[in-house]
Amino acid sequence: MSPVLSIENYRLEYRSSGTAFRALDDVSLTIGPGEVLGLVGESGSGKSSLAAAIMRLLPPNSREGGGTIRFQGEDLRAMGPRQLRSVRGRRIAMVFQDPSSALNPTLTLGRQVSEVLETHRGLTPPEARAEALAMLRHVEIKDPEALFARYPHEASGGEKQRVVIAAAFACHPELVLLDEPTTALDVLTGARILELVRRLRAQIGMAGLYISHDLALVSRVADRIAVIRGGRIVEEQPAATIFRNPRHPYTRLLAEAAPRPDRRLTTDEAGAEPLLGLDSLSVRYDRRGVFRRRAATGAENVSFTIREREVLGVIGESGSGKSSLARALAGLVRFEGTIRFTGRSVKGPGAMDRAYRRAVQIVFQSPDSSLNPRQRVREILARPLKMFGGNVAEIPRLLDEVRLAPNYAARYPHELSGGEKQRVAIARAFAARPRLVICDEITAALDVSMQASVIELLLALRAAHDTAYLFITHDLNLIAEVAHRVAVMYRGRLVDLLPVAQLREGDVHPYTGALIAASPLPVTA
Amino acid sequence: MNGWLHQLIRTRHGVLGLIILAPVALAVVLGPQLAPNDPNAISFLARFSSPSFHHWLGTDEFGRDLLSRILVGARESVGTALSATLLGTLSGAILGTASAYVGGRADEAIMRTIDAIMAIPALLLALLVLSTLGKGATDATLAIAISFAPGMARITRSVALAARHQDYVSAAIARGEGSGWIVFREMGPNVIAPVVVESTIRVAFAVMLVASLSFLGLGAQPPAPEWGLMIAEGREYLDQAPWMIIAPGAAIALTAIGFNLLGDGLRDALNPRVGR
Repeated sequence: MSPVLSIENYRLEYRSSGTAFRALDDVSLTIGPGEVLGLVGESGSGKSSLAAAIMRLLPPNSREGGGTIRFQGEDLRAMGPRQLRSVRGRRIAMVFQDPSSALNPTLTLGRQVSEVLETHRGLTPPEARAEALAMLRHVEIKDPEALFARYPHEASGGEKQRVVIAAAFACHPELVLLDEPTTALDVLTGARILELVRRLRAQIGMAGLYISHDLALVSRVADRIAVIRGGRIVEEQPAATIFRNPRHPYTRLLAEAAPRPDRRLTTDEAGAEPLLGLDSLSVRYDRRGVFRRRAATGAENVSFTIREREVLGVIGESGSGKSSLARALAGLVRFEGTIRFTGRSVKGPGAMDRAYRRAVQIVFQSPDSSLNPRQRVREILARPLKMFGGNVAEIPRLLDEVRLAPNYAARYPHELSGGEKQRVAIARAFAARPRLVICDEITAALDVSMQASVIELLLALRAAHDTAYLFITHDLNLIAEVAHRVAVMYRGRLVDLLPVAQLREGDVHPYTGALIAASPLPVTA
Repeated sequence: MNGWLHQLIRTRHGVLGLIILAPVALAVVLGPQLAPNDPNAISFLARFSSPSFHHWLGTDEFGRDLLSRILVGARESVGTALSATLLGTLSGAILGTASAYVGGRADEAIMRTIDAIMAIPALLLALLVLSTLGKGATDATLAIAISFAPGMARITRSVALAARHQDYVSAAIARGEGSGWIVFREMGPNVIAPVVVESTIRVAFAVMLVASLSFLGLGAQPPAPEWGLMIAEGREYLDQAPWMIIAPGAAIALTAIGFNLLGDGLRDALNPRVGR
């Protein structure tokens, strides 16, 4: 059978201020009818450029350096704007990463699906409406009639992504490009969307290109997987076998780096002495309106104790209160309740003295915003050293501890990669010689391989300094690798607090059970 | 930080602005040395002489050499505009950054006050201030600074508000830094770029404001060779000696255009997101 999509020796370059950057180098891929190809790569690997090339949505500074992109035997590169319009949306559809920016905020959700049907299938408005409603029902929207009239800001992220998927599948396209469709969603919603994609695929039988950075996730939806690095396809093989026998060293690295619940990275036990305790800690955000006051709850009555040298994992989806907890402990938000620390009670951010602020350090999620872009690494590290009784001469040692060369001290943050920035942020936290470091989703913005090395670094630092960690993440597999105990947050409340080993023994809160079920396990069998 | 100067030279506006401002800068620095005559030397024989070899730009009703007066007056006209802008920018920027950092009710109060002040046109506000302070060059500087500060505060606040929510500010709060450090050392450097751009463009306004105030008799006092004042004096002789107005008018226009272009160039050079 002839392939739906075949790409041969395709090259693509971006030019900016006189220099050329090769985004895709000699890429050849084919997707057969009804086949889903997974394209796995880290940021900057060229995977999104490939999707843009197929959709013919290349930015003006791109130059194609030869090769062909054939869709059902027709050369997409040779098509004019009119022909492309008849292909896009109708025969090749795309699902984007972020549903909130993929939908037009000024149109109702229903209209965004029915419009596609009117344009591409020539339906009359009443027909399109009926068909759109059927499509919304098809993507498991609970009350399609109600959602039809709502605007994007009135729907949840999961609902919006379902609408995007409904619009993409509405014309029964021959090929669907899915560009990280679950990355912007939380774990449970993402798992449900993934399930939906699998079901639609089975029903409609279209061909697909599923782009993701997550090898484990892709191995669950794709038939074959292509691994891309630096614009080159380094390996291609069936999804069922890629975890078991990765051939290319880079694929092996990706497979190794993916967190696995059956592997333990923390081998020692936590200490017995309590280090820091929370007594019914609540965080409330006051939203002042003109006529009414609304209080949004960040965290409600959370109590637990972190022991010396313990790695306590905190898990929950966005809005569950896990970051509010971190911000309360770091003294960034007002809270009710008490923090017990070395025998003293702290009742608010004002009561946190220098000793507390030295002992409890925080590392933030986004490496781009956590370092001041106008300060050199040296200044960033010097400040906590000066404040907490260190010596500026220790900077090379600090950098060495986070495995950065001493000459990094003279650099500005924009000269560092995401992983390097995060190492500097970790060095800044350790400059204060802390007892507890709060890690707030510190690997969420990093690539998988980078994530693995940052985790390894954290554990090495813990071994050297006997630091305890409050490790906040949405990745259950990661927690299973590093934490001693796990705290599960749900809608601001602590619903479970148990040793990691008991996670899979079944005696958990229903929400925890759902999280466990949603965590993608690599296909290793 | 050498990068931005390089970028500036690569923008067309920036280069043009620099070219126009180079002679202005020369006049500000070396005006009195360059002037061929004493700017205040009265010569009854040379009254109202049109531009000639001896008086390149002509003379005024007292026979004073206009070229010399413009060269010497540059320091007062442009200097006043620059220092007024600097003063207004600095106070506005600090107020805006602090307001964004403190937030809440204080922020609300500061910003509403500023909105109210901004409703008054700059010239009117400057006149108001001058009518309380009295007239003179220093008072004019102060008046212009006061009328500029609210706008700068508003611009700075919006930039600072974005910086306020960055994690590096959270990190500073978490390690127990004081407000001063956070406003000046953490947020300050990150709001400086748009402030520099805005204030460069504002210098152009300031040049015209200084001239306007002098024209109205509230700024520099005769016989100072201030450009606006020169226009005011030349107004009566418009039909017999139009060069008395044209020369200082052209100087004001060129300076204003120069600063405007430089500001546009700086905006492009300091903002990497604007495509070149």
